[in-house]
Amino acid sequence: MSPLELVGDSGRIAQELRASRPVASAALRERVAALGPAEPAAPRWTFRRPSGRLVLGLAAAALLASLVAAGLTREPSKPRAEGSHLTVNHDAARAGAQGSTYAPRSSVEKTPAPVSGRAILPATGTLRLQRYQATLRLRVDDVEKLSTATKRAMTLARSLGGYVGEVQYSTHAGKRGGARVVLRVPVGSVQAALTTLIGLGTILQQQTGILDVTRRADRESRQIAKLEKQLETATPQEAPAIRAHLRTLQAKHLRLLRSASLARIVLTLTTPARQAAAPSRFHRTFDDAGGVLLRELQFLLYALVVAGPLLLLGGAGVATARAARRRSDRRLLERA
Amino acid sequence: MDAVKTEFAEAAERHLDDVHAYLVYLTGDRATAEELTAETFARALERWHRFDPRRAGPRTWLCQLARSTALDHFRAEARRRRREGRYAATEPGDAQQVFGEGLSPELEAALARLSAAEREVVALRVVLELEGEAAARVLGISTTACSTRLSRALQKLEKEVSAGVAA
Repeated sequence: MSPLELVGDSGRIAQELRASRPVASAALRERVAALGPAEPAAPRWTFRRPSGRLVLGLAAAALLASLVAAGLTREPSKPRAEGSHLTVNHDAARAGAQGSTYAPRSSVEKTPAPVSGRAILPATGTLRLQRYQATLRLRVDDVEKLSTATKRAMTLARSLGGYVGEVQYSTHAGKRGGARVVLRVPVGSVQAALTTLIGLGTILQQQTGILDVTRRADRESRQIAKLEKQLETATPQEAPAIRAHLRTLQAKHLRLLRSASLARIVLTLTTPARQAAAPSRFHRTFDDAGGVLLRELQFLLYALVVAGPLLLLGGAGVATARAARRRSDRRLLERA
Repeated sequence: MDAVKTEFAEAAERHLDDVHAYLVYLTGDRATAEELTAETFARALERWHRFDPRRAGPRTWLCQLARSTALDHFRAEARRRRREGRYAATEPGDAQQVFGEGLSPELEAALARLSAAEREVVALRVVLELEGEAAARVLGISTTACSTRLSRALQKLEKEVSAGVAA
């Protein structure tokens, strides 16, 4: 081809370049062919962009793992723990607010509710004068058992030498109901009474309290004795007032002795409230799996928030280094 | 392992001329191109397990490897020149035909006056007839940038040929 034909015609230049392209020499062919018998290097670990199928598989595996983890870590189904907890003896506090002589704080015994359905019964003092109060909240299965339990509680008080102070009983549509029974039983029989009462249902709550009134009783006794002595030496004008004061004090003392001789037990009985249908094991497992996935997402989000700026900086650094490398390569090739 | 070797041997045989031609254009020197071709295939055998046919064909992959090998060579040469404090001749000798047998002296001279960057895009797009996308992948640039570079290289080549003819 004449050089003049090439001028201003890229097509012809291209044609000539293709027609006379360099060809590898026989020596080079031999050198390259000789590479074949050599053992290729053992594949090293290299990062390859995972295929979409692999990513889907991993996602499915993660979901499955979450489900399995949720199923394994979830506690076996069991009824909810009863709401037993330490409660303050409000009755004792109320007695104090009403002006009763308070025993030292250490003399007020407070008993926490039982944990596993067994009542803890405080021992009653035999030599001391004590006011004993107990509140029991029990759950019975249905209205029929509610009725039976109420009757048994009332009978129990009478059989122990006490009496029934108050009874409230109500039912709703014959399916749910409740009862409140206030029993007064002799202090000596209070442990027997509580032991029997807790057998009537499942304990939901228990409060017990003992208020020592020995000192108060002693003080009142001394005051009465003093007034009696004053009455003996009193003039006819003073006698009526002293006598009236003495009567009031004697009545008060009698009430104190009476209250210390009979324990007050407030028994509340309830039937279970209508409950929503419990979710199936399948639904619970899915709920738990959802929770696990949510937690994983939270961790991922936290990680991104923490590592995000660093990743951005790293990415920017890598991109800058790449761009610099390309510029360097370009300059190198332009000079070559 | 035998299958891998067979696969590599087939690819080497099929694309040896392409890689060699590309390196001749890139270096502008036959002897260097031969050395670099052998080096490229030695590296290719080492890294054959990394080759992913879904991402690029074997010819594109081998050309990428050849470019990387050539760049390493150019860098080493630049360092050597700096260290030795002298410069090798930048113009290839006119005595032999570097870019192909039977090429007109004007075209040969014009190609020699192009930079390696310009020659390589001509080699990839014109001599090897690679698709724009594959050529861009080898060069590590966008398809548009590749087209622009080719257009400028061809214009310059034409200009150089014209100048050569006029002279």
